[in-house]
This record gives sequence, structure tokens and C-alpha cells, in this order.
Amino acid sequence: MAVELTNQTGESATDTIEMPASTPWPIVLAFGIALLFAGLVTSETVSLLGAVVSVVGAVGWFRDVLPHEAHETVRVTRQVPAIMTTRHEVARIEIAPELRRAWLPVEIYPISAGIKGGLAGSVAMAVIAMLYGLLSQKSIWYPINLLAAGFFPAVASDTTAEIAAFHLRAFLIAVPIHLITSLLVGLLYGAMLPMLPRRPILLGGFIAPVVWSGLIYSILGIVNPVLNRRIDWLWFVASQVGFGIVAGLVVSRQGRIRTRQQMPLAFRAGLEVSGMLDEHRGEDERR
Amino acid sequence: MSTESIAWSTPQVAAQRPVVERLHDWVTTVDHKRLGILYILYALVFLVIGGVEATVLRIQLIRPHNDFVSPQVFNRMFTMHGTTMIFFAVMPILFGFANYLIPLMIGARDMAFPRLNAFSFWLTAFGGLLLYFSFVGGDGLYGAGNAPDVGWFAYAPLTSKTFSVGHSTDFWTLSLLVSGFGSIGTAINIITTVLCMRCPGMTLGRMPLLAWLNLTMAGLVVLAISPLTAAQLMLLVDRYLGGHFFDTQAGGSAVMWMHFFWVFGHPEVYVLVIPAFAFASEIIPVFSRKAIFGYPVMVAATICIAFIGMSVWAHHMFTVGMSAAGNTFFVLSTMAIAVPTGIKIFNWLATIWGGQIDFKTPMLFCVAFLFQFLIAGLTGIMLGAAPFNWQLGNSYFVIAHFHYVIVGAILFTLFGAFYYWFPKMSGRMYNEALGKLHFWLFVIGFHLTFDFMHIPGILGMPRRIYTYEPGRGWDTWNLIITIGVFFQAAGLLVFIGNLLWSYRRGKVAGSDPWDAWTLEWSTTSPPPTYNFATIPAIKSRRPLWDLKHPEDPDWQYE
Amino acid sequence: MYSLIVAEAAIFTIFVVAYIFYIGKSATGPQPQDVLSAPIFFTICLLSSSLTIHVALRFLKNGKVNSFALWWLLTIVLGALFLAGTAREWRRLIYQEGLTIQTNLFGTTYYSLVGLHAFHVTVGLLALATVALFTLLRHVRQEHAERVEVLSMYWHFVDAVWVVVFVVVYIVGR
Repeated sequence: MAVELTNQTGESATDTIEMPASTPWPIVLAFGIALLFAGLVTSETVSLLGAVVSVVGAVGWFRDVLPHEAHETVRVTRQVPAIMTTRHEVARIEIAPELRRAWLPVEIYPISAGIKGGLAGSVAMAVIAMLYGLLSQKSIWYPINLLAAGFFPAVASDTTAEIAAFHLRAFLIAVPIHLITSLLVGLLYGAMLPMLPRRPILLGGFIAPVVWSGLIYSILGIVNPVLNRRIDWLWFVASQVGFGIVAGLVVSRQGRIRTRQQMPLAFRAGLEVSGMLDEHRGEDERR
Repeated sequence: MSTESIAWSTPQVAAQRPVVERLHDWVTTVDHKRLGILYILYALVFLVIGGVEATVLRIQLIRPHNDFVSPQVFNRMFTMHGTTMIFFAVMPILFGFANYLIPLMIGARDMAFPRLNAFSFWLTAFGGLLLYFSFVGGDGLYGAGNAPDVGWFAYAPLTSKTFSVGHSTDFWTLSLLVSGFGSIGTAINIITTVLCMRCPGMTLGRMPLLAWLNLTMAGLVVLAISPLTAAQLMLLVDRYLGGHFFDTQAGGSAVMWMHFFWVFGHPEVYVLVIPAFAFASEIIPVFSRKAIFGYPVMVAATICIAFIGMSVWAHHMFTVGMSAAGNTFFVLSTMAIAVPTGIKIFNWLATIWGGQIDFKTPMLFCVAFLFQFLIAGLTGIMLGAAPFNWQLGNSYFVIAHFHYVIVGAILFTLFGAFYYWFPKMSGRMYNEALGKLHFWLFVIGFHLTFDFMHIPGILGMPRRIYTYEPGRGWDTWNLIITIGVFFQAAGLLVFIGNLLWSYRRGKVAGSDPWDAWTLEWSTTSPPPTYNFATIPAIKSRRPLWDLKHPEDPDWQYE
Repeated sequence: MYSLIVAEAAIFTIFVVAYIFYIGKSATGPQPQDVLSAPIFFTICLLSSSLTIHVALRFLKNGKVNSFALWWLLTIVLGALFLAGTAREWRRLIYQEGLTIQTNLFGTTYYSLVGLHAFHVTVGLLALATVALFTLLRHVRQEHAERVEVLSMYWHFVDAVWVVVFVVVYIVGR
């Protein structure tokens, strides 16, 4: 099985090849330069000698390449070794047919789902909180004032009656805080729900709010001791769970979109590679 | 077989000619293969010399209060050991392999500038001779000098006229200057060859990794050796013309020298290690019987390493004291290098994974390289953290770390490369049993020496000390370290003996003893002057695979 | 050649960095603002020589060897003028201002940086002169344009370096 490497340059017919001729001038020039520098540590005469040798070497080199580079002709011994192998079998490493990276979501919710979930959750939470205000203090403003007090402790030093009354300033502070926080948490839900294993509503709607409330319970005494005294933790947890379940339900009802996780790197990087798009279209259809 | 007759006839024809004529042939040659071999032989001589110097150092430190050599000689020995090994042993060997292999691998007949190639080699050679001439000629006017004794990085103000009388430091500067010109010449040659001389069909994406990595290395040489040249010129101005670049009393800055030196010094590490990667990237696939894993990523990682490598130099200078921002930057850039390096290690592992591994000597060295380079990288990350470095900077821990890189990674792959390409260069097979003996001696010696060298470092033993007090917990470790040196020396002797013996008596190798896939194996061993009678044309990264398996060629997959 | 230029550029970078680092760090006088004056005329000489070498090369590529020779010689004259200018400035600095390479840091950095550049100009001039000699001996023909172009690239590089050196030494440094 002697196969010669094919030739495309078209010079195969000749049996001689021009190679650069041997020349002594590089070594002469190198020696000259070395001497030139060695003179610095020995004596000027050595440098002088080095300079002379260098010039001779440079001139000689010049005459070598000008006007034409010196070549010598080498005869080709036409015995190209046969290229062969003793290993004729080609084995292929078996790759498991489909290794899905299931722990990275293949499909996710669009961002709008998170926003919708957050807004719906915020309504649910507000309703529960106001219900708590009505039942305990006979005022729907009570939880709103408390929320504002969470960020501006000055409000919280007032008496219970005052907190139960309507304050425009506290209302203006509390509503944006509530909305923004709800939106952000809703977005977080939208991003996280596909990644939660089994029963996302239970986990995201119930367990997570409880854990979250526990965290707040343990640190609120340090962050805002006044507020800490006034919070009814049962209702707090209830409102959080309400948020979680409503937000989770709303989010999970939205349609999912596919991620680009499984597409090849070149495709994700936006490279135009021929054939790639078609392949993936075919793959999609197969699903 | 026809190939055997060629391999046989070449040495015999040469042997009949008079010695002077053969010598003349070698001296005036512009053939890249002969120059490559000259580089390698020349560097081997210096490798042995540097090894002897290291042995002297270790014998001196074998027990406390030893006086095997005088402190002055000790200083000269560690300076010469460092300088020789870096500039006149490892770099020329790597250049030699690059010279020999690149044209063969990319299907060219010679380097782009064959005369420049010869010129560069002789500059390097004379540079080395100049350095060693200092042993006899270094006395200078004051009778005080000898070989250089300022350490291989020659910090100011040790190099000033006041502290280094005579010409010893000048010998160091000038020889590095001269050989530096040679290195730049070779680097330019490699870049031009790789970019302009590839055979038809060999696109950049189909080049063997060795060519890619050496291209990167050459780029680094151009960017790294030049600052060294500039710094050496400044030092010369200081020493000969009375300048004040590094003279702190006139407002100059000693730290400036450190920056200039390490701007060269750290990329230099990558100049040395990238060709080592190149050898591993060629040897591991052949002995795993698989194509290299992640070719484009390997190239990208290499270039990444080269880029980041240019911006980490000051991690050699944490203990000098820099601003917090400087420290943070150099810590982070140093850590960042671990990423592309890690990618490379995983790619090699993935190449081995699932392959039919054949543990011949070259492969053994490469496998050892993988393990040792990993450890070297890990201690590198440790030292790259500034606070850790403040504790252990300039201790034996540092010595252990960079010897792990230079011996454990670079020298090991170099030995692998020697065994792998020896059949191509000489036409003879080496002795496998001796090769394995060499490997095991060297592995044992290496680990005895450099594993245990970390410990006295952690215990606070500073580098470059002449001797030490007993009872500090360093004694036993130093004894073990020195014992390891003798194993390594024995390994080296076996290696050289193997080369000499195999060159004369080895089995005829044939053109392709490893059943490999790159172009150098498609021509005779040793190759004729013109390399390829007809310039090959290729279609994939493994041209010989395509020819060996016409029913299942590579280019269908790339 | 490009690689060589990169290498050279790296060398110059180091010297320029050293110069900038040491600006104003001299322990003793004379300081640059006292003694340096910008050599505008000679700078124009050197920069215009870049232009003339370009024109010369154009002529060579079109096969007009005589015009090439003329412009080539003009380039050499301009380069030599620049070198003479540097020499005159150094002479003034050494004998009138008493600034040598040993005097202070400014002297060290100034003479090394400008000297390194002057050395490159000298090497360039020698190479240019060699080509001129061959031209006058009628050895240079159109087909040599590529090799001559390499030389002109080097010359452009030397000019570009001077722009940097000029800015650093005569504008920033003062």
C-alpha cells in the first residue's frame, strides 16, 4: 500500500533540487560580533579584530546573496519510503447517544412571566397583609406603615394608634418598595422555577418563603429592633407564602421558551457557518 | 528494504571522507537539520556543565557547616548554573528541535532564512563560550573577578562597579547580549518559516500543534528578549560609561532593573514551557493512538497563555513592595494563567482517555510531565497569592516550584522528545530498556530532590545560602535532596550513554517507527538535505493518517 | 522584517519607559528645561526623508532608475543632515552645558535614548549608502524593488521612533 503524497507544485519531473549553498560567512560574522563584544572585557585590540572580522563576514555574506543567492544542486535519491501502517483497524470511541445536561434548564420562562408573577404575587401579599391589619388593628394602613418603618425607623417609634392611621408619606414609600421587591422576587422565580426539582410550587411557594422568613426572623432583631417587636410572625409567613404560591402559579402558567444551551458554541457566538442552521432545524423537527 | 539501505549508506559515505572536510561541512552548513542537531549537541554539553554545577551546589548543602567549596565559588556556581541552564542549555535545545522539526512538519525544504539561521546559532554558541571564558579571563584589571557571581537575575546594586569589581558581571551581560541577538534571529526565522513556508493545503488550522506552539514561542522571544537586550545595554552604559540608570545614589532605581529583568524573565518561562507543551502535544496523541483533543482550543489556550504571560512579571516582586493596586493586578493576572493552562492539561487527558496507550519511553516522560506540571502549577498559584508569597518569597519553596516547572515539565518533555525523534534524526532506534531505566532513575531522583525541597522552604530556608546552622530541622531534608541529585545524574549518564550507543549500534529505525501521522515521518530517517523530493500537499491535520487509512480519512471530519 | 521591527520597538519602549520614569529624578543639574531646545529643522529633515524614500521607491517600482537614484541620494542627504544636527547638539551639550552621560540621570537617559536612535539612523544610512553605491554602479534594477522596500520599511520605522523620542524628550521631558 505504497501511496505517495501527491504533488501540486508541478516540479516533480526533475531529479535535482536547488538548496541554499553552504557558506562560512555567517560563522565569520558571528565570530566577529562576539569578538567585538569580548573586546569590552579584554582589550581594544580584540574589539578591533572583531570589527574587521565582522566587516569581512558581512561583505562575504553580501557577495553570497547578491546579485543572486548562491545555490547548490542536490541530486534526488528517488526513494520515497512507502507510507504504511500495521494497524488497519480503526476503532471509534462510543459516545453515549444523548447526554442531556438536565441540570441546566433546557427551557425557561420568558422574562415577562417573571414580571407577571411578581405583580400577581404582590397583590396577593398585599391582600393578606391588609387582612391582617383589619383583623388585628382594624386598619388596612397598619402593615403599610410598618413596611415603610422597616426602612425608615423614625416612623416606628410612634404609638400603635398612630401607626394604624393613614400617612401619605409612609404610603408613598411603602408602595414602591413593595412593587419593586415583588417584581425582583418574581423575576427570580421566573429564572429559578425551571431549575427546581419536582413540585416547584411546593418548593418555591411554601418552603422557600418559610426559609426566607426564618432568615428575617433571626436577623431583624439586629437590623430593626423596633419593627421586630411589632411583627406578627404567623401573619408574616402567611403573606410570604401567599406571594410565593400566587407568583409561582402565575409564572408556571406562562409558556416556556427554549434556551440556547444545547446549541453549538459557534452558533451561540453568532458565527455564520454553512450547514449549521439546517442541521438544527432538522433536529428541532425531530423532537 | 530500500529505506534501510539509505539509512545505512549515509553515515558510511560520510565516514570515508577526511575529518577536516566533514568538520568544514558542519561549520559552514545552512541546512536546518544540521543546525538543529548542532544546537542540540551544543546545548547538551551545557546541560551537563550546568548539571555539574548543580551537583556542586547540592554537595555543599548536604550537611550543615559543610565546606566543600568556598562561599565565593558557591556564588559563582549558582549564578552560572542558572544562567547556563536557562540561556545555554534549555533554550538552545528548544531552538534546535524547532529548527529541526518545523520545516519537516510543515512540508518545507528549509527555514525561511537559512543563512540567518546559521548566523543565529553561531552567535548563541559564541555567547556561551564567552560566558565560560570568564572562568579564565574574568580576572580583569583588579584580579578580583572570576565567573559572574551576582545571581542569574543580577539585581542592582550588586552589579554596580562598587560591588562587582573586575569584569565578571560584564562577561555575564555581554554573553547574554550576544546570545540574545542569536535568539531574536532564530525567533524571526521561525515566525517567517511558519507563516510563509507551509506546503500546499496546510492552512493555519491544519498545522501540527508543534508548529503553532513554536510560532507563539517565537513571538514571545521577540517581545521578551528585546527588553532584556535593552536592560543589558543600560547596564553596560552604567558600568562602562558611568551612567546612573540603576545607581540609587544619583536618583536611579534598583527596582527599575527588577522590572526590566522580569518583563523579560517571566515571558521567558513561557518561552521555555510552550515548546515543552508542543512536544507533549505531538507525543501523547501518537502513543494514545488518538487525534489530539480540542485542537483549536489548544491553540487558543496557548496564545492566551502567551498574552497573559506578558502581564504577570511583577509577581516575582511581591516581596519588593508594590502598591495595593499593583499587587492585586499581578495576583489576579497570575491566577488567570491557570485557566488556559488547565484547559491544556484537560485536553491532554482527554486525548489519552479511551486511547490504546502504549507506554514507550517518550510516553512515560509525557505522562510524568502531566502529573508534575500539575503540581508545579498548583504551587505556582500558591506563590501567586501575594500574602503567601510574602511568607515564602525567595525561600527554597520558590526554588522547588520553578524547578518543578523547568525540570519536572520542560526537561521531562524534552527527554520524551529526544526519544521520540531520535530515530528520525539518527536513523537508529534507541534502546528501550535503557530508556526506561533512565526514566525511572530520573523520576525517583526528581521527586527525591524537588518534592522534599518544598519542606525546608516552608521551614524558612532561604535560597542562595552558602551553608546553614544545624538543628533547624533542615538537615535531613537537605541530605535527601542531595541524594536525589545523584539519581538524576545517574539517569542523565544512562541517557547520554543510550544516545551514543544507539547512534552506533542501534536497530535501524525505518522512516516511521511510531506509526505516526505528521509529515516528518513521511521521509527517510535521517531525512535527505532537501527533506522532501516532492513537496507534499495535504488535506488534514494528520496527512499520514489519510494515506494510511484511505477508506477513513481525517479530512472528512475536520 | 516586521518581527525585527517589533523587537526593535520593544527595545526602544524599554528605553523610553526608563526616560519617562527618570524625568525630574536627577539629583543634580543641569535639568532638561535648562539645556534642551527642540531641533525642529533637523526633525523636519528626518521626517521628510521618509517622504523622499517613499517617492524613490515609487520610481524604482516603475523602473525609473535614474529618478530613483536622485531621490534616494536626497534621502541620504536628509538623514545625514539629521545626524549632523544631533552631533552638533551633543557637542553643545557637552562642551557648553557640561552635560555628559555621567553627569546625572538626565544625561544618562538622554544620551542613551537619543544615542540608540542615532545608532539606528547610522545603520540605516550605511545600508542606504550601500544601495546607493550599487545604484550608481548600475546594479539595481526594477526587480530589486522588494528588497529595497524592506530597507525603506526600516527607515520609516526609524523615523517613527524619532517622533516618539522627540515627543518624550523635547516636549514631555521639558
